[in-house]
Amino acid sequence: MTHKLSRPVSIIGTSTLGQHYYDEPEMQGLSIYELWSHACHQAMADAGVKPKDIDKIVYSHMANFVTCGNILAPVGSLEEWIGCREKPISHIEQACASGYISFMEACNSVASGRYDCVLVAGIETPKHFIPRDQPAYRVKPLKEYDGWWHPGRALFDTTYYRFDGVSDNLLTDENAYFLKQNYGISDQMIDDAYNAMAVNLSRGAARNERAVERVEYAQIAKEKGFDDVMEYMRSDYNPHITQYIRKSGSVLHNVAAGAIIVCSEDFAKSVGAKKPINVVDYASSSNTQRYPMCFHQMNVSVRDQLTSNGTDIGDLDLMVTTVMTSGEQMDSTEVFGYLPAGKGCEYEIEGRTAFDGDRPVNPHGGDIRFGHSFAVAGINMMSEAILQMRGEAGGCQVKNKVNRCLVRGMGGGHTTAGIVLESKF
Amino acid sequence: MEKIRPILKTYYEALEEGRILGMQCKECGDVTWPPLPTCQMCGSTDTDWILLGDEAVIDEIRFEDPSIGGDYTFRKANDYFADKTEPYTICLGKFPKGTARFHAALYGITADNVEEWRAKLPFTAKVRFIQMNNDFKVVGFEVPGYQSGKSE
Repeated sequence: MTHKLSRPVSIIGTSTLGQHYYDEPEMQGLSIYELWSHACHQAMADAGVKPKDIDKIVYSHMANFVTCGNILAPVGSLEEWIGCREKPISHIEQACASGYISFMEACNSVASGRYDCVLVAGIETPKHFIPRDQPAYRVKPLKEYDGWWHPGRALFDTTYYRFDGVSDNLLTDENAYFLKQNYGISDQMIDDAYNAMAVNLSRGAARNERAVERVEYAQIAKEKGFDDVMEYMRSDYNPHITQYIRKSGSVLHNVAAGAIIVCSEDFAKSVGAKKPINVVDYASSSNTQRYPMCFHQMNVSVRDQLTSNGTDIGDLDLMVTTVMTSGEQMDSTEVFGYLPAGKGCEYEIEGRTAFDGDRPVNPHGGDIRFGHSFAVAGINMMSEAILQMRGEAGGCQVKNKVNRCLVRGMGGGHTTAGIVLESKF
Repeated sequence: MEKIRPILKTYYEALEEGRILGMQCKECGDVTWPPLPTCQMCGSTDTDWILLGDEAVIDEIRFEDPSIGGDYTFRKANDYFADKTEPYTICLGKFPKGTARFHAALYGITADNVEEWRAKLPFTAKVRFIQMNNDFKVVGFEVPGYQSGKSE
């Protein structure tokens, strides 16, 4: 049984604001509102539309009550900042999957026929917060927040399911156990593959002006006296943070805003969109950490939803996928069939997944080098996929034309999403 | 595409210096206050700062009984004022260079004189910079002749 969209949905605009740390000099004095409006205006300019053309907004923000001055839903303010007041707006809060779910909501809004042009946008400051009752530009480091929580504790529903030992260690290591048990891959090879993955991702990020960490591991290794980058990656400079994951294989948190314009195919034609991207299909799945391999299972579930819907994921030119830790990228690329099952380690070690490889994964640098900003991460990853499909990604542009791309994303609140895009130009 | 620029920081720092900034649209001329990077009338991002002066025309008074202190959910604004004792009420008005009405705190109105001042509407009121709890100011107003909590 297939469930096609009621009418074609196109992507016609994206922001390119990039990832930042709040302590960068150029970020001084900027609040989340300036970043939000800038990203939204970028997307509108890219799409060739004005605020008056936007029919609806889907707003993605994960921790707004913590980071946004104890405000529950700043939807009206956000609309005013972009010239869209009094328009419909929905707030999606689904942890780090919020961006993907927001995108799907925007697509649903267009596909239903109710809205022609929808802005999906988000803002997030994972490491800073606006103190209560103060102007928004006075951000402070999150460690000073009185009720600060560690993401690994807040994202998992320990009020319901109280076995909390899984969140930081077991889940991130399960891919390694899976590879060992199913394919007999050694600990050494897994370590090399995870390290190679970080090296590969750092090569893309170093060439991506939108990435937050733009120094290759090869250069970092050299500065530390290592001629062989892999020797550096195995050294104490890159310590294990779990049994299998090293520091280089863990997500970077940064501030970001992002925005994308989706619309009906007819609307795209009416504004003369030069490179509209077709949204083919999408699916999502949620579970809890109750069962072993829960992250892996969400990948399986999303893949099965897409394929049972008649969507071909066998001819992908590119995969963009959340990489909170090394194991997540490895698992997802194999589950969705982008890399042959059991061969992902070899692909990473041989550099084939790098931006200039024959099977690129996360050419923008992934969450561990490009950066990750909670509910905006999904929007930013969609944007990076859009730029790759248009051939506008800059230095990290992949070698071959990207006609079909899978954006697969995950949030620690336990949702995984898969979005299939295709270009017709 | 406009250059990203600090809006809030510029605005609040100007208040510390006794200046009230709005944002004027270069395309349609509309003025937004408090300032935003996007014109609220036409949606243009081609906007620039404008000084709004130190007085506004008040055209409506919404008197509040100062003995009503709000409740758990809805607190009174002066919960966040450094001085929580000086009586104030709510007014509606417009800056001479502004194009939209605002609401703000107005000092100098009491239960005894509210009808007297309503009879004078509209009238011009001077800006009163209100010191907030957390070391910043917001914009309020005071009726002509008002000094240190007494209306003349």
